[in-house]
Amino acid sequence: MHIQELILRLQRFWADRGCLIGQPYDLEKGAGTMNPLTFFGALGSKPWNVAYVEPSRRPADGRYGENPFRVYKHLQFQVILKPSPAKVQDLYIESLEALGIDLTKHDLRFEEDNWESPSLGAWGVGWQVVLDGMEISQFTYFQQVGGLDCRPVSAELTYGIERICMFLGGYDNIFDLVHGEVKTDDGIFPVTYGQMRQREEFELSAYSFEHADIDLHRTLFDAFEKEGWRLLKDQGHFLSAYEQALKMSHTFNVLDARGAVSTTERPGIIKRVRDLACACARAYLEHQEGAAVPAEDNGKVGAK
Amino acid sequence: MELHCEEIPARFLTPLWENFVHLLEDKLEAWFPTGDSANYRKNAIDNSTGLYSPRKLAWRLVGLPAVQPDQTETQVGPPQRMCVGEDGKPTIQGLKFAEKWGMDFSAVRFEQPAGKKEPCAVVTLTKQGRPTVDLLAEALPGLIAGLHVPKAMRWGNSEFEFVRPIRNILCLFGDQVVPITVDGVTATNTTWGHRLYHREHPAPVVIATPGVYESALETAGVAVSVEARRTRIAQQLETLAAEVKGRVVADAELLDTLAEIVEFPKIVRGDFPADFLELPKEVLVTSLREHQKSFCIEGPDGALLPCFLTAANRTDDPAGFVKAGNEWVLKARLYDARFFFAEDRKHPLSDRLEKLMALTFQRELGSYHDKTGRVVALVKHFASRMSDDTDHIDRALEAARMAKCDLRTLMVGEFPELQGIMGGEYLRHEGAHEEVWMAVKEHYRPVGADDAIPGTPLGCLLSLCDKLDTVAGCFAVGLIPSGSKDPLALRRAGQGIVRILWERGWAFPPADLIAAALRVVGAKATKPTAETNEALMDFFRDRVAYQLELAGYAGSVRRSALAAGWEDLVDLKARCEALSAFAEDTRFASLAQSAKRIGNILKDEAPSTDFDDSLLAQPVEKVLAACLMKLELAPDQASLLHALANLAGPLEAFFNAVMVKCEDPALRAARLSLLHRLRQAFLRVADFSLWQ
Repeated sequence: MHIQELILRLQRFWADRGCLIGQPYDLEKGAGTMNPLTFFGALGSKPWNVAYVEPSRRPADGRYGENPFRVYKHLQFQVILKPSPAKVQDLYIESLEALGIDLTKHDLRFEEDNWESPSLGAWGVGWQVVLDGMEISQFTYFQQVGGLDCRPVSAELTYGIERICMFLGGYDNIFDLVHGEVKTDDGIFPVTYGQMRQREEFELSAYSFEHADIDLHRTLFDAFEKEGWRLLKDQGHFLSAYEQALKMSHTFNVLDARGAVSTTERPGIIKRVRDLACACARAYLEHQEGAAVPAEDNGKVGAK
Repeated sequence: MELHCEEIPARFLTPLWENFVHLLEDKLEAWFPTGDSANYRKNAIDNSTGLYSPRKLAWRLVGLPAVQPDQTETQVGPPQRMCVGEDGKPTIQGLKFAEKWGMDFSAVRFEQPAGKKEPCAVVTLTKQGRPTVDLLAEALPGLIAGLHVPKAMRWGNSEFEFVRPIRNILCLFGDQVVPITVDGVTATNTTWGHRLYHREHPAPVVIATPGVYESALETAGVAVSVEARRTRIAQQLETLAAEVKGRVVADAELLDTLAEIVEFPKIVRGDFPADFLELPKEVLVTSLREHQKSFCIEGPDGALLPCFLTAANRTDDPAGFVKAGNEWVLKARLYDARFFFAEDRKHPLSDRLEKLMALTFQRELGSYHDKTGRVVALVKHFASRMSDDTDHIDRALEAARMAKCDLRTLMVGEFPELQGIMGGEYLRHEGAHEEVWMAVKEHYRPVGADDAIPGTPLGCLLSLCDKLDTVAGCFAVGLIPSGSKDPLALRRAGQGIVRILWERGWAFPPADLIAAALRVVGAKATKPTAETNEALMDFFRDRVAYQLELAGYAGSVRRSALAAGWEDLVDLKARCEALSAFAEDTRFASLAQSAKRIGNILKDEAPSTDFDDSLLAQPVEKVLAACLMKLELAPDQASLLHALANLAGPLEAFFNAVMVKCEDPALRAARLSLLHRLRQAFLRVADFSLWQ
């Protein structure tokens, strides 16, 4: 299946089940969770269903376009369902069928895989979904986002688009995937993932590992942080401040890929991103629903 | 009762299941206190061992009565004299007591209960037994909520917390549904089978009675007993490996995992390209296990075959997709592994030595580069004590320098459990001396109680020095294990050290090891040396004591042998071996009694070592003096122990006939000296006062 066909089918499927179809957020980010549609959408009490594609950048995963399985930037298809429906697993399975996967012939398992994003102050529990031994999705019940308890709990489904395409088509090289077909008066021209992205992979990997100016990135990191806190504290603007937190996060990832972050330095830097992101989350919730209720005031029932 | 959930993490299944059994046991004991509860409990465990699968936790109790037996209870009130007036009529207090328990005063008896000095008012209450189904209905929701869930979650709109969302509850007492509701889910007599089964059978599975639970689910595609799944998996593994004339590379933990992640096991055999076999066996086994939960197959010569075995959660593989899919993923993984293996070998391992500076071992103790320096110094110290062959010492130092370098390789970054192994493999490929690469490869061993110590002397030396530096270094900066807290696994490292000394028969006293290690830690220590030294001596003594336990010596042997000295492990081992031959000998029990008496008699005395045996007057003490000669001249442990065993009788006779602390000061001194010398002789092997 072509990449664009997979995306279109997933969008159609989730739109038909009551999801808004969102768009990628136009800032560099490591995962679809960082899109405000998820980060802020998962907070607060209001119902929220949304699905969108998110290009996700992981500078340290760059392989110059030479590794057939690993890339600097990949596509995630992200679904948020709040509150998590009782039949959420069944819905997910139906979505696989919508992609043409005949589950009577495959082995599908949900294996424990808990998710945590220290830079977003977020964590959840869930599974990696494994099809015939291959991880194709991440399935998470958000417990906290931005350091705040999620009430109600959202289910987050993340499909690895390239992986699923490779798996369905039996491709051994990500760059051989077909994104789609260009039809002109002169004929039909299939366009591969490699044609669209291989040069980009090469340049962005080289940038991350060799050319990124370390001093500049350190300066940028500090500047974004300062800017974020200024926007939040002086203006109470949590959306523009959150953008600064996203920029900090990506800047950190570049520094990390450049080998400019020592192990002892790392937790401190991540904490600086988290502190700003969490402050934005609190400001958002206050804006949406009034002052947040401290977690300890909520009675808890059930097993501990 | 069955809780049908979304997929429960494998590692929580057994603990959750067992935790609930304990909670149930407590309830049964409260409900059926007559002693019969033992039967129910036994049944509870016998009949439902491990009824769980990824989506199910189930428990079945057999032999429960329909109704709880009536229970009688005695209540004691005020003394009779306060309840009955002089006129024989009930007092107000008496009437109130009867009223309190809802009885007429006529039902009040007057008896003298145990522990009271006079007769008191007593009533016997009969508590009518309640239907068991009511008891269950009341208790179960609380028990479920009270389960200990290590990583609990919430879902949807609810505040309820559990391991994963509960989607269905089956709860039966016989054929009757026990009416319980947990987080909005109300119990019924139905459940759900395998997801695939329900594609063709949309209706839930009805369970008529608890007895047919497993068979009904088996039909619906779920083998709900974990034991049954494990057995089937093991059988299929064996059969499929035999088909390619190989045998499965055993891995009990992986077998358990597979049984816990499928509801119906089907083992699939797949192939991978044979050129991946150029990777070290450990890499293949680890990669297959960690990434794909797959077993390797080895041929008769121990070499791996280019195929693997893994479990699918279904009954078959009709289109071959499961096999093809797993093969595809595995190829990608092995491609990665081969990439790491090739990349890592582009530079000699020694290039990583400098890079160890950026890898923290422990905050106060510095980097792995610092640690390497200390281990090199320790190896140098002990290698030169063991040998004066300079080539050998040079090889030992080379191994110590290279030991930690693989921590900076891609392969160990991907598979931390291959530390050491990769360093050894890379050195072997570089053409290092066999002694060197073998030592590096094995220097983390023993990695656990079941693992062997390194197979070569150099490997043992490197392992010993590495662990010694870790233990002593951590102690020197105050990181000392206490109670159940041992986050750095120092006890395991310490046990490794003791095992190596013990099994190799190396005579390094712990005090020497500690002194050498603390010397190399030097100024990095944050605690006073004397304090660290004392803590380490205690630590090693405990490790040695545990080593004796592991070696299987009887308690009497261990206690008495340890008390007579533990620092010379070679000697300690010889003494334990010799003593074990006498563990059941009744003469030693008698000897133990006498040893205690000697201890008591000598407690406040300072006897001289010399005595004039001509002073000894009675025959029994002359016999004893003669025995002492034999003891002191015994050439080895065995003959000493024989002499000791033969001493039991004379000692008993001595204590029966002789008053040691007699009036005559010279005679008394001689007797005390005799006993003192005897004790000294005992202590060459053991402190017999601790024998029992």
